[in-house]
Amino acid sequence: MSEGIIGRLIDALTSLPGIGRKTAQRLAFFILTMPKDQAEAIASAIIDVKNKACFCSVCFNITSSETCEICSNQSRDQSKICVVEEPSNIMVIERARVFDGLYHVLLGSLSPIDGITPDRLKIEELRQRVAKGNITEVILATNPNTKGEMTAQYVADVLKPFNIAVSRIAYGLPMGGDIEFADEVTMSRSLQGRKSIV
Amino acid sequence: MRNITEGIILKSFPLGEADLIVTIYTLDYGLVRVFAKSPRKTKSRFGSSLEPFSYNKITFLGNEDNNLPRLIQADIIYPFQSLRDNLKCYIKSTEILEVTLNLQPERLIVKELFYILLDTLKKLDSECNTNRWNLFYKIKLLKYSGLAPELSGCVICNCAGRTFYIHEGAVICEDCFIKGDYPRKISLSQGAINLYITILKWNWDNLHRIKPSDILNSELNNMIDRHIEYRSERNLKTKWFNFKVQQVMGSSVTTP
Ligand SMILES: [Zn+2]
Ligand SMILES: [Zn+2]
Repeated sequence: MSEGIIGRLIDALTSLPGIGRKTAQRLAFFILTMPKDQAEAIASAIIDVKNKACFCSVCFNITSSETCEICSNQSRDQSKICVVEEPSNIMVIERARVFDGLYHVLLGSLSPIDGITPDRLKIEELRQRVAKGNITEVILATNPNTKGEMTAQYVADVLKPFNIAVSRIAYGLPMGGDIEFADEVTMSRSLQGRKSIV
Repeated sequence: MRNITEGIILKSFPLGEADLIVTIYTLDYGLVRVFAKSPRKTKSRFGSSLEPFSYNKITFLGNEDNNLPRLIQADIIYPFQSLRDNLKCYIKSTEILEVTLNLQPERLIVKELFYILLDTLKKLDSECNTNRWNLFYKIKLLKYSGLAPELSGCVICNCAGRTFYIHEGAVICEDCFIKGDYPRKISLSQGAINLYITILKWNWDNLHRIKPSDILNSELNNMIDRHIEYRSERNLKTKWFNFKVQQVMGSSVTTP
């Protein structure tokens, strides 16, 4: 069983025939953006999410209250922020169970060709969080593609004056994959980001 | 029908869960839009080949009548990774892709332009700190798109003149100018006009010999940008993006 309002919806959808975890997750986030009258025509669990879900005022995760479960959980490491593009990315990272800090959702990625400028993302809000002084490390977990990469670089530049640790998630080959199928960019990034094992 | 050619990735647009619509400037088919299945999945066989700037050998199915041919293979010939390695260079190189998208119609085959685009990316790959290649490329692109401005004298009476009228896409002299008819105009220096004529006429392979001053480069570049925006009826988003970034960061956008 997953925790939280979205987790409950995904679980509910997964119980339907022919809907796996991935599809359920996709449907859950689709429902969040669909017109209200359509949503009301579907099950009460979906209406519940539609009525209660909003963005966390601190991290822009999806929540049903002012601040999300993660932000209001005092047992989490309050000095680390992991920056992601979309709320759905938080769930993926949470499932890995290796990060116990806080999050910040940018709600997109920079794209000059699409006119997505820095002021259209939650970058200033991140800067203000860091400016309060309790944060010692920011991990940039934007997508490993050009837009995500440039967004990470821009955010790193914005955070530079604070002199805190800013890191980027490692690039590499997907687990379960085969080196033979790796393209040269992925391969060269994997080699550059290699780790000593002894 | 199976089409095999070379192409440069200009832009992609997400479709559904993990699919993409990709716009590619190709050697043999001009600008094409193709459908790619699942490239956004981490283990996709497309790997990073569909990232912008990537120069690939590509195979797609479907002929001109198909409104969305399907991309079945893309093998990287040269990734142009350096253009995606720092923000400044990325913005500058993205401008090249944007003007191509805005001015080239789909399926218009211009092989010379393909090679010029490829060479421009190579030039930016090796010297991203200069601005001249963007200017050179835009002027050649206008030429091959049949939209090159007319700057060598008044377009009506052929006498000397240095005022460029955006609406006309040409220089018009004081005598031929009808008051109130042309609200948007730019006064150009003789240096900028000479630079333009040289870039327009010279063979691409000789342009490396031209090293305009920053002032002259930016004067002509601003005029060219306004011309491109007017002709394509679209604002240059990359230019706006750059402006926004400069606003926040000043000139401190760093190189790694
Ligand atoms: Zn939160
Ligand atoms: Zn005249």
